[in-house]
Amino acid sequence: MFTAAGFKRAFEYMTLFEQGLVCTVMLSAFTVIFGFILALVLALMRLSNICPFAFLRTDREGHLREQGFLFRLSKFNPISFVASVYVEVFRATPLLVQIFIVYYVVLADLPLPTFKLFGMIRFNRFIPGVIALSMNSGAYLSEIIRAGIQSIDGGQTEAARSLGMSQMQNMRHIVLPQAIKNILPAIANEFVTIIKESAICYTIGVQEIMSAVTSIRGATFRIAEPLIIATAIYFCLTFPTSKIIAYFEKRMGAGDKRNGGGRKAKKAAAALAKRRNQL
Amino acid sequence: MTDILIRVRGLKKYYNQGAIKALDGIDADINKGDVITVIGPSGGGKSTFLRSLNLLEVPTEGSIIFNGVDITKKKELNSEGKMVRLDLNKHREKMGMVFQHFNLFPHLSILDNMTLAPVKVKGMNKIEAEDKAIALLERVGLGDRATAYPIQLSGGQKQRVAIVRALMMEPEVMLFDEPTSALDPEMVGEVLEVMKELAESGMTMVVVTHEMGFAREVGNRTFFLCEGKLMEEGTPDEVFNNPKNPRLHDFLSKVLL
Repeated sequence: MFTAAGFKRAFEYMTLFEQGLVCTVMLSAFTVIFGFILALVLALMRLSNICPFAFLRTDREGHLREQGFLFRLSKFNPISFVASVYVEVFRATPLLVQIFIVYYVVLADLPLPTFKLFGMIRFNRFIPGVIALSMNSGAYLSEIIRAGIQSIDGGQTEAARSLGMSQMQNMRHIVLPQAIKNILPAIANEFVTIIKESAICYTIGVQEIMSAVTSIRGATFRIAEPLIIATAIYFCLTFPTSKIIAYFEKRMGAGDKRNGGGRKAKKAAAALAKRRNQL
Repeated sequence: MTDILIRVRGLKKYYNQGAIKALDGIDADINKGDVITVIGPSGGGKSTFLRSLNLLEVPTEGSIIFNGVDITKKKELNSEGKMVRLDLNKHREKMGMVFQHFNLFPHLSILDNMTLAPVKVKGMNKIEAEDKAIALLERVGLGDRATAYPIQLSGGQKQRVAIVRALMMEPEVMLFDEPTSALDPEMVGEVLEVMKELAESGMTMVVVTHEMGFAREVGNRTFFLCEGKLMEEGTPDEVFNNPKNPRLHDFLSKVLL
């Protein structure tokens, strides 16, 4: 199955793997950024409370409606509805289908720039890959973020609003920092999934790691050794990713421990003591 | 002639399309410098009344006129006499609120808990805000805990921080929603002491409480809320020693053993 000679042959094409690695990293990085932004927007859309037909809640005599079509219409939130439909559709269909639709249907007739990023990433293939992956992971991430936001006690929002903060400031300074801390393990999971699923982009001709494997297979007639190398590269990408996020999780947990923080907390306490003396 | 700070008229709050009437038509005036204690059986609408004052609960009907502006409306008259969109946040920052469960922000240090709103909402200088926060913390005996996180404090300490956090915004009225109900008995005193000092400094306060001793001694007026109605109001002396309403009589006989 594996032979030393086979590995030697495969290593002759190491530049292909290097280029594939850069491509996979770029693919994942852009997907994470766009996917996260999309997810945040989707989550806020789903949690929004905009009912354009709210005036239908009361009837002509000014009484509150309790049932019927108009009552339901009065509670209808089109923004949340659109986001829900999006999430359900993207979670219920295969990623491969989505990529093909983006590449062969949606962007087929668009003249995408054909230049090569870093001299090797074909932009007209790369962009559809990033779009499809972002749209897919955005759907999954939005559900994670929504759950995170909903897990924060409503009293936090009440306290923030009673201090005069706007809903926006409340989200930015109070709810999201706590929510994101809570959902970091799930986000890490999703980021790792993105790196792994980016492999599917080789089907539309993005030259990432898996495409390097097929090229080497064609040149050397060996498949096992290139696959092992690809496996190792993927592992070396995903494992540190989850570790890095675990580190941030620990750092964000400043308010979790009773025994206080480490050096940083001691420094802050010393600075405080000094200021109290000055005042 | 006293200055009326908050004028409540015909305040109603219904839930489930009117199946539950938490507030059923309340009229009340809150004057500047008043310390009003709100008592009554649970489910009587005390908390809903308090939370309606700064519109954390949006009333079904009625008006709340704060400093001459009806904050239940969408628009207000500005200083130039033009109708403009009502900025509820502007009015809310003038009403400090203290909650039963403190609601400190667990991801921020005590100092950041206190300075966040003044800096972000009022545009206060960060250093200035911190100096002010430390001074306030000293006043409630927590000067050395500024860099701690909420989880490191006891319940009584948390509630004292919550009170001074609200004071950072220099509110015109402070609303207390059962501030001592979630505290261990030995910590109730320290929080009531801070509230008493605040009352003596002339702050307008509305306090929903089960501490009858506090209601008697510190308040200058007492509201008795029951079944969503303001059944009786008067000085603590009138309410506690000479109750006219049979429901109030009944309530007091149960709580004052």
